[in-house]
Amino acid sequence: MKWKVCLYWSFVASGLLIGESPPPGIKLFLQQYCHQCHAGRDDALEGGVRLEIDSLDWKSAQTLDLWTTIHEVVESGDMPPEDADAFPAAKQRKSLLEWLEAELVNHAPPGGTVPRRLSRVEYQNTIRDLFDYPEFELPPSFPSDVSNLGFDNVASGLVMSPPLMAQYLEIATAIANEWIPEPTQLPRVQPRSYRVTPSDLNTDEGGGGKAAEAAFRLVSSRNMASAAGWTGSFEAPYSGNYQLKIDACTFQTDDMFYEKRTRPFQLQVYARQNGQEKYARFSDLRLVGEVFISASGAPSLGNALEIEMDAGEILGLRWADGPIYSDPGRIDLSHAFLEDRLLNDRAFYAAALELNGGKRGSSQVEFYGAIRELMERQTLDLSDPALAHSPEVYGGGLFNGPHNWCKAYAQEEMHRQGPALDVLGLSITGPNLVMLSQKAREKIKRSRDFLGRHSSELTDVDFAERFLRGFLTKAFRFPVEEGQLSQYVEMVQTHRADFPKKRIEDALHLAVRRVLISPQFLFREIGNGGLGAYELASRLSYFLNGSAPDDLLMSAANSDRILQPERLEAEARRLLQKASRKQFVKHFTGQWLATRKLKDIMPDPRLLKFYEPDRQSIIEEVELFFDEMLHHNRPLEDFIDPGFSFRNINLNKIYGGTLTESAMQRVSFPKGGTQGGLLGLAAIMMATANGVDTHPVHRGVWLLENVFGQPTAPPPPGVPAIAPDTSGARSMREQMTRHASDSNCARCHKKIDPLGFVMEQFDPVGRWREHYPIYTEDASQTLKEEFYANQGRGTRLGSRIDASATLADGTVIGDVRDLKAYLLGHMDLLTRCLIEKLMVYSLGRKLSFGDRRVLQQLTAEATQSQYGLQDVILAVILSDSFKAR
Amino acid sequence: MHRSKNQRDTSVQSRLDRRNFLQGLGVSLALPMLESWGVPIAAASQASNPVKRIVCVGTYLGFHQSDFFPEQTGRRYDMPYVLEPLAGFRDRFSIFSGLDHRGRNGHEGWQAWMSGSATGSVSMDQLVAEHVGHHTRYASLQLTCGKPPDVARLSFSKEGVALPMMGRPSVLYQTLFRSDSDRSRLEYVLRGNGSLLDDVLEESRKLKRKVSRRDQGKVDEYLASVRDVEKMVQKQEVWLGKPFPKTNYALPPFDPVSPDQSLECESLMYDLMALALSTDSTRVITFLVPGWSQVFEIDGRRLSAGYHGLSHHGNDPKKIADYNLVGREHVKRFARFVRKLEEHQDSHGQSLLQSTAIVYGSGMGDSNTHDNSNLPSLVAGGGFSHGHHWASDRSASHARMLGDLLLTLMQGMGMEIDSFAGASHNLNEQLS
Repeated sequence: MKWKVCLYWSFVASGLLIGESPPPGIKLFLQQYCHQCHAGRDDALEGGVRLEIDSLDWKSAQTLDLWTTIHEVVESGDMPPEDADAFPAAKQRKSLLEWLEAELVNHAPPGGTVPRRLSRVEYQNTIRDLFDYPEFELPPSFPSDVSNLGFDNVASGLVMSPPLMAQYLEIATAIANEWIPEPTQLPRVQPRSYRVTPSDLNTDEGGGGKAAEAAFRLVSSRNMASAAGWTGSFEAPYSGNYQLKIDACTFQTDDMFYEKRTRPFQLQVYARQNGQEKYARFSDLRLVGEVFISASGAPSLGNALEIEMDAGEILGLRWADGPIYSDPGRIDLSHAFLEDRLLNDRAFYAAALELNGGKRGSSQVEFYGAIRELMERQTLDLSDPALAHSPEVYGGGLFNGPHNWCKAYAQEEMHRQGPALDVLGLSITGPNLVMLSQKAREKIKRSRDFLGRHSSELTDVDFAERFLRGFLTKAFRFPVEEGQLSQYVEMVQTHRADFPKKRIEDALHLAVRRVLISPQFLFREIGNGGLGAYELASRLSYFLNGSAPDDLLMSAANSDRILQPERLEAEARRLLQKASRKQFVKHFTGQWLATRKLKDIMPDPRLLKFYEPDRQSIIEEVELFFDEMLHHNRPLEDFIDPGFSFRNINLNKIYGGTLTESAMQRVSFPKGGTQGGLLGLAAIMMATANGVDTHPVHRGVWLLENVFGQPTAPPPPGVPAIAPDTSGARSMREQMTRHASDSNCARCHKKIDPLGFVMEQFDPVGRWREHYPIYTEDASQTLKEEFYANQGRGTRLGSRIDASATLADGTVIGDVRDLKAYLLGHMDLLTRCLIEKLMVYSLGRKLSFGDRRVLQQLTAEATQSQYGLQDVILAVILSDSFKAR
Repeated sequence: MHRSKNQRDTSVQSRLDRRNFLQGLGVSLALPMLESWGVPIAAASQASNPVKRIVCVGTYLGFHQSDFFPEQTGRRYDMPYVLEPLAGFRDRFSIFSGLDHRGRNGHEGWQAWMSGSATGSVSMDQLVAEHVGHHTRYASLQLTCGKPPDVARLSFSKEGVALPMMGRPSVLYQTLFRSDSDRSRLEYVLRGNGSLLDDVLEESRKLKRKVSRRDQGKVDEYLASVRDVEKMVQKQEVWLGKPFPKTNYALPPFDPVSPDQSLECESLMYDLMALALSTDSTRVITFLVPGWSQVFEIDGRRLSAGYHGLSHHGNDPKKIADYNLVGREHVKRFARFVRKLEEHQDSHGQSLLQSTAIVYGSGMGDSNTHDNSNLPSLVAGGGFSHGHHWASDRSASHARMLGDLLLTLMQGMGMEIDSFAGASHNLNEQLS
């Protein structure tokens, strides 16, 4: 039984229904076989469903829902339940079903999607495409959508709300400002001179820059947060050209580890907006110039540069060709060189290990001091077997990992002994030439591309009309009608009359804002009758590409060609080849296969070391797997037992591989094993656990709903959840015995629990296991940093897992391999489940009775002809349901 | 379609007349560019109720507890080292120890400081803004210095969205004292948006007649949303029509937003906060004083480690001493702010400090161990009776929580609220 429907029933039941009276035979059937549980006092109604029905209003959606569900549960034999007192004869059931089917075919044909607001993702993609603005990101304050029927793009769940409308208006204004900027006037200003002393320079993150007297000392660095100097107290007041003069000298001593340099030192100057991202790499910043400082050590004064700055920018100085942390592409000595020097120095290695990379609270200066002290004291045990391990096994501490220990040590050493570059001061004069900022110049160019070129041969109105015709068509995903175009033109003219001093562009600014808040842009599929050609094109495009139709699809919609099945299929095939099918893969799997949940799950560090890239790889495995299924039209059986997957080095820790690359690659393994497919993907195992322990009920419920296509009702209110006993005293199986003894529980749990038990051999991150873990450390009692140092070592083996189970139909399962075989023998289950998910996702509606007939028919076809994933998707697109509004 | 200029003026006029209907709505939305504006209210009703304001200031890296909390409770406590800059005001503030939310530890747990243990629930300041926000141009302001770490969040809307904070003094200055050209551009854009909303309302009314009964519900949802946003734009227009205050205060020609300059930025922000309150531009301010690994130079000496490193002092006395030096610098700036409020008389002849309740402290309890119990908490001003150190015994059966203190402050604002952040008592007795 569908629990969502149950909830719905409860309020249907209380309403007075208007309309024709049900035939007497039907009323009698309800009385005899249903009223025992579905009539009488409100609080005694089973599932809140009342079946005392005196009249039928087939126009009401609630009536249709109710009777569609009655049809479903009677047809499937779920109702009346096995333990009912009175059970209808086959003939009675048949006559109920025949009558009901005739009514429902008549009253509930395929269709029923209400106007669909663009979902969060669809809106973002649509803006990106409409303005050719791939970097566009919604602000964090943008409201998120709710999931309805398992997906966030279902029309009834896509509500409009005032906060959302306010955001649409804000974004409309912001985009119009970017694409149609105000004219800017250059200010008249006199150049001024500024002096920046060494003490005015600062670093973003402390660093050691200020260690030298009367100079700001630069050591080589890639990250601008440390060891680079910024003019935090000089911010360009206007955009334009400035003259910069740099006083600097080199710093080298006889105690340096490095050879003395004779070639000049390269000093680079970067610019960025004050207050922007602190941790960016230099390679991501704007280089404004460079000078070379003689290696003699004598002050080199007045090194002049003509530079361009935008208003609000500050300057950053960096020594670019130091011995470590050069630009990528140059000889980067950092890792190899430092390791060779430091990690092969047993004394250093021993000292760094002894300090465990430095404790929280120490600085680079202190870390350096502590290492020197330990090394000089000469009490380190250089025969410690720990020194035999490669640096890769160590992490933790303030300077996380041996590479960073070396970096911290080497940078501090350079501060003290050289080589380094001392900045003695800067003089800045300007602006000598006031200019538009680079950003403003880019905007002007972009605006010209967007609006089209205006010329003396065009009137303002012609110019506006030409732009609007194209823009409205693209934005509304429908060729603009003349009447509507003239409304917009009129609006532009009114604006001109109201604001004679404003430009025609300002009127178009207004028009663009209007488009972006209008219902035709924000909604699709508003209208009556069958789905029109352009609406069909949109439905197809948002389904397969997550965004508005492209130009080719729009032209296929022209003169209704897309309504022909061959053309529709050809377009669908084309969209499935496009790179943006990734949108479908990502968001469909994100919801069907629950990978969206992973961002909220953090595996317990006692189980394993788990980092963000691991999570990404786990999600990517699902997406690449699905994409391979799609792209190569692989048979649906491969969802169960594919014999292949996609892995990288990060996934070794889950699947025990020996891969060495971080790029994902296709790997094969024998079919018939425990790996791969919906019953073996780490992402699904993780999403159906909580990072700490597994729960058979959660995985069972998930499998029923998403693989078997038999969702179950939620537990009745007041039933306490069973928590896994991580001390290992009682197994989940023991705790769950009540499910079998209580007949109320058993109705659902006889389906749920066996599936859950079988999946217990996957741990909370999807690793194969034979035993339950027992947590040996109490996470809350340990300091975070110690804790991370010991992670992955906080459990011991507990009791052996029994993965055997007996399915509701009596099939005996030994472990997950048997369950896979069972599903392969019942391919109609997964086929139907997947097609239903695809229909809900693409149609954006709860399936009507007519849609369910389509689903049934497609399932039969697909099972019989052994469809591949692409075949199934195309069949959905070519079905009557897809064309129905 | 777009109306002529005269018609628009009439329409603004009629909106002004309707403004009484809008009182009390005080909707505040987290918008990326425009701040949340208050709803204007008739001057007469202002006079009847005394003006109440609230300010919450929290330091991201906390304080050393034993140098923030006095050893003795009651009135005759010895002023703790970190609080010494406030010594001249000891009868105008109270110290509370033993309060917290029984919430999460770590830097992420800081976020719950003004909202309680559940992250993402509405913060106290936003509830107050809903109550008093309609009196002022801005229902509330959220401030910080520069660009704080991503997890540093203080104010949360009712929808659970973390509100963005202004970190550049020049941006706050511009917000409070908008230049005429800036203002006329905003006004032009707002008017345009107002007329666009009218247009799409009209358009969708027509649309509604064309669609099926089933689809009308969706169009209605859209219509209702547009109407609500139209009201919001009307409020913004009304405030934009009122002149912005003028000031002689001058900012430096650059924003000191680099972490090295954060103490300087903190001083400027306090100056501007005092101006925001004295010009009645807002009555609700939150200020998150951030901390990174910057190495401060205090009284000519470079401290022994970066600020974040000092906060993990590992009970090293040298580091605690330096950590306290930074703490004192924060408190010094706070004390200067308190003095400014005390010296400024509002239009009712009471000092701003008298009408402004300030909660000062941190969502970090013990930074060394990332423990968020026993949060440093101090309340100044607000017309309360002060001068005590109140210690709450966390193990007592009815132990008070930080939520109780926040309830007291909200009740002091005249709000009818008796439970917040898991707390349902108050500390009225301790503040009267």
